[in-house]
Amino acid sequence: MTPLQFEARQQARWDELEQALATLDRGRQKKSAAKARAPSAPFDPARLAALYRAACEDLALARSRAYPVHLTARLEELTHRAHQLIYRRSDYGLARLKRLALVDFPQSVRAHWRYMLVAGLVFALPLVLLGLATYFDPGLVLSMHDAETARQFDHMYGPGREPLGRERGADSDWIMFGHYIKNNIGIAFQCFAGGVFVGLGSLFFLAFNGAAAGTVAGYLTARGHGEAFYSFVVTHGAFELIAIVIAGAAGLRLGQALLAPARRSRLEALKLAASEAAVLIYGTIALLLIAAGVEAFWSSARWVSPAVKYGVGGACWVLVVAYLAAQGRPPRKELASHAG
Amino acid sequence: MTLDTVVTAEAPEGIELVLRPAGIVARTYAFLIDALIRGTILLIASIALGSMNRLGGALFLILLFLIEWLYPVLFELLPGSATPGKRALGLKVLMDSGLPITPAASLVRNLLRAADFLPVLYGFGAVAMLLRPDFKRIGDLAAGTLVVHTGSTRLHGAIPEAAPRAPARALSTHEQAVIVAWAGRARRLTPARFDELAELALPVVGRSPHDAGQATQRLLGVAQWLVGRR
Repeated sequence: MTPLQFEARQQARWDELEQALATLDRGRQKKSAAKARAPSAPFDPARLAALYRAACEDLALARSRAYPVHLTARLEELTHRAHQLIYRRSDYGLARLKRLALVDFPQSVRAHWRYMLVAGLVFALPLVLLGLATYFDPGLVLSMHDAETARQFDHMYGPGREPLGRERGADSDWIMFGHYIKNNIGIAFQCFAGGVFVGLGSLFFLAFNGAAAGTVAGYLTARGHGEAFYSFVVTHGAFELIAIVIAGAAGLRLGQALLAPARRSRLEALKLAASEAAVLIYGTIALLLIAAGVEAFWSSARWVSPAVKYGVGGACWVLVVAYLAAQGRPPRKELASHAG
Repeated sequence: MTLDTVVTAEAPEGIELVLRPAGIVARTYAFLIDALIRGTILLIASIALGSMNRLGGALFLILLFLIEWLYPVLFELLPGSATPGKRALGLKVLMDSGLPITPAASLVRNLLRAADFLPVLYGFGAVAMLLRPDFKRIGDLAAGTLVVHTGSTRLHGAIPEAAPRAPARALSTHEQAVIVAWAGRARRLTPARFDELAELALPVVGRSPHDAGQATQRLLGVAQWLVGRR
């Protein structure tokens, strides 16, 4: 068959496919612009699939027979567009979000418990050790923070005239909310992104932030501002510290994929790890948003007595840990039927 | 074809999709345009929110965070899969498979910007892009995404009219393809270069010294004959 005959014979089908793609594109745009009426003249999906497969066949023939380039170019464009439409994932939206929050995220945290353990230790050990060390030798705070910052901590949590951390107006709560979002989510993102350097970046940021927090806690305790400080951090810490550990664990997952890719190429292993880690990052962002809100509007509320804050904070820790440990497990009946 | 920077992805139907990855220059321009847009937004916001005391300050900090981390994610998930800068340069972000980018992949590739940015000014990202034939930065490698040129210049058009004539000797498939491809580029090549290329194929059209200037018309005739005009 000559190229001219081929073109004449298949032309009608290609035109039909082109029209179908144009209608579907227009329908999608309309839907995203104003989610009003259903797409006019819904195209028969089976027909679209048949036309697409036929075009693929034509393209393969045209290439192997070395038909003129403008012919194959047109077929390439057609098949590419159709491929994008047909294989597009479309399970986004509220149902997907609900599933993420109720099943996928806690399940993923449990599936990565080894990474969580390592990240938790790398974060908590410097925090506890440097906290204790600074408690006995408050001067150590200067190894992580400069003198000006240390004075500010004193000022914020001490019984000074205008304690920043406690006596703030509503508008000041807002500015702290913005500050926490920008800072803390940024730290979590760094803990994750650093993982791509075979995990070293994650380890560094986890340990660094643990050390920074530990020295502050030790210093303030030694100065006798312990109650003001701990009642301030206990509630949002439940969300914030756990979220940072999860982000670090997600980073370690990337690093481990590069170091020990098992039976994949390093690149393939990295891609797989990143797609799994993305679920953890979604959860981290949500936890840090909650943390920022709590930190700005609850932790800093001066009218709440420390005892109440300890109570609520403790409840939050229990809730978050219980959520991560128990949420999204299949019902026992289902488990039994799987086992049997 | 081997000279072109193309990446192929296989569709489930067994055909190869041809993707044209965008290099570091186009992507740098796109980034600069985006940086300009981001800067302008922040400038306007700081003026508008600056007059609103501390609540304005909070909104500004949140905006700063969103623009720093999530500006590309937002635009990559909208139809078009490209930030305004990429759109201006005719680029868009796809998955390796040629499919539209997923939210998870977009998040990963943009969070790993922090890694690409190190040690200074996207150093690692630039090195990765220069070393790889598909111009991926670290974020693209992990997310499995590819920045591609959208519209490609049409190099080939229909074959110009000419009286069909049979070739002087039997031609292999490859030779046929070369002649047809040459004829398809009639509108893109300068006439002088077009003629020059035709001269190379004199043996095919039959060498006759007295009508050397006719080589182009004759070879076009052969091309017409090859695509089936008799």
